[in-house]
Amino acid sequence: MPDTTRPDGTTRSFRLGVAGPVGTGKSSLIATICRELADELRLGVITNDIYTDEDARLLRSAGVLDPERIRAVETGACPHTAIRDDVTPNLIAVEDLERDFAPLDVVLVESGGDNLTATFSPALVDAQIFVLDVAGGGDVARKGGPGIARADLLVVNKTDLAQYVGVDVPQMVADAEAARDGKPVLALSRHDPESVASLKEWVLAMTKIVRGGGHTPVDPGPMAPHSHTDENGVMISHTHAHSH
Amino acid sequence: MLADGRLPTGGHTQSAGLEPAVRAGLGADGKQPADVGAYARDRLRTVTRTEAAVAVLARHYANAQAITTEADKPSPAGTSGTEPFVMASRFVQLESAWAARTPSRALRTASRRQGRAYLRLAERVWPDVLQHLPRDSEIARPLVIGAIGAVTGLSPEQVARLVAYDDAQTVIAASLKLLPGDPAVAVTWLAALHDDIERLVNDVAPLTDIDKIPAAGAPLIDQFAEQHAIERMRLFHA
Repeated sequence: MPDTTRPDGTTRSFRLGVAGPVGTGKSSLIATICRELADELRLGVITNDIYTDEDARLLRSAGVLDPERIRAVETGACPHTAIRDDVTPNLIAVEDLERDFAPLDVVLVESGGDNLTATFSPALVDAQIFVLDVAGGGDVARKGGPGIARADLLVVNKTDLAQYVGVDVPQMVADAEAARDGKPVLALSRHDPESVASLKEWVLAMTKIVRGGGHTPVDPGPMAPHSHTDENGVMISHTHAHSH
Repeated sequence: MLADGRLPTGGHTQSAGLEPAVRAGLGADGKQPADVGAYARDRLRTVTRTEAAVAVLARHYANAQAITTEADKPSPAGTSGTEPFVMASRFVQLESAWAARTPSRALRTASRRQGRAYLRLAERVWPDVLQHLPRDSEIARPLVIGAIGAVTGLSPEQVARLVAYDDAQTVIAASLKLLPGDPAVAVTWLAALHDDIERLVNDVAPLTDIDKIPAAGAPLIDQFAEQHAIERMRLFHA
């Protein structure tokens, strides 16, 4: 069970990581989550940009959240390190945000865009979304990797562009599902209200599960324990080795 | 361990002021090797000397705490669970002495952020440090290094060398991100700083008097740091 109370007695938020390669729409996804959920949940955002604050500025200018609740953390050109090998600066930023705006329900941590192996350490986030987009090529989902295979949610973004880049979305989603052993895949376009509603639903459900203590953070890294969502949306954690 | 850049204390976010220096023109004339090495050497003679001296004093105070008077002892952490931890007055004075010799607010902020990162790691790995410093607090990095040095049994020379080497290595490693170059060449710049580092160690390791902490400033480094703190498009925090 995650420890949701800190030594000083304040309540800890649900920390949700958003990772994925450069340009797949991580910032836009976070803006969408903020736009959809800012009235229902108390939110905060930490961004990790290559050059400090581009993403933070984009989110602030999107007007979807109080600009003071969006903070940028420098990564010294090492976005992978910042979310995995040495989470200290990010963890301090998350905890300070939780303290300054207590109580927060969800803090979204956006990774600087990196490669397919960049996933969050369970020391930093409780759950993570990995974002791909159709414009990056229909075969990316098939390539697999820890983020694609084992993130709590895989988003195939910008489905509205599929017709222009010659990508078969159902096939890409099927490839992703095959790589994910039943864990959820969401085909998303911010211009498709139904898909946005599904995203919102997932975030709300996950928030409830994590805050209720029903979820153990998992590390998508090789051979780590991992979790599944069954048909009823219940998280099941495993520590067995994969057969695939 | 403490000298290893892979230690999870946020070291990857630091350039020891090299990023703003490069932005101000360092290395722009194509003489990067000379410039980067000279920049690290300038630091060893000024700001880093102060940092190392403060770390040596912090180690000295932490070791001496067992024999201080009752009034000078900190209130032990966690005994009552409600009373806030109070740092021993000598550590408070040492932080003030460090701050007085670190005129840039941006550099003080960066150092305290780094100190907090070290303190958080120490809480997990060397929890005895919390007998000297309050947990998860923003305390100048050299004080935290000195306290860790005390509880891990480091000599004053080791503490001084650690601060000096870490600073030089931070500059050299950041140069690989900021300027084009061959990593092996960068290591030769670091190796060339050996004598400067040992000179610093010899000078500051014997210190036990707070008034003897060197105060040689580097106004350009301060100015760069202040500019960097309000700069957009940063790779490094400081």
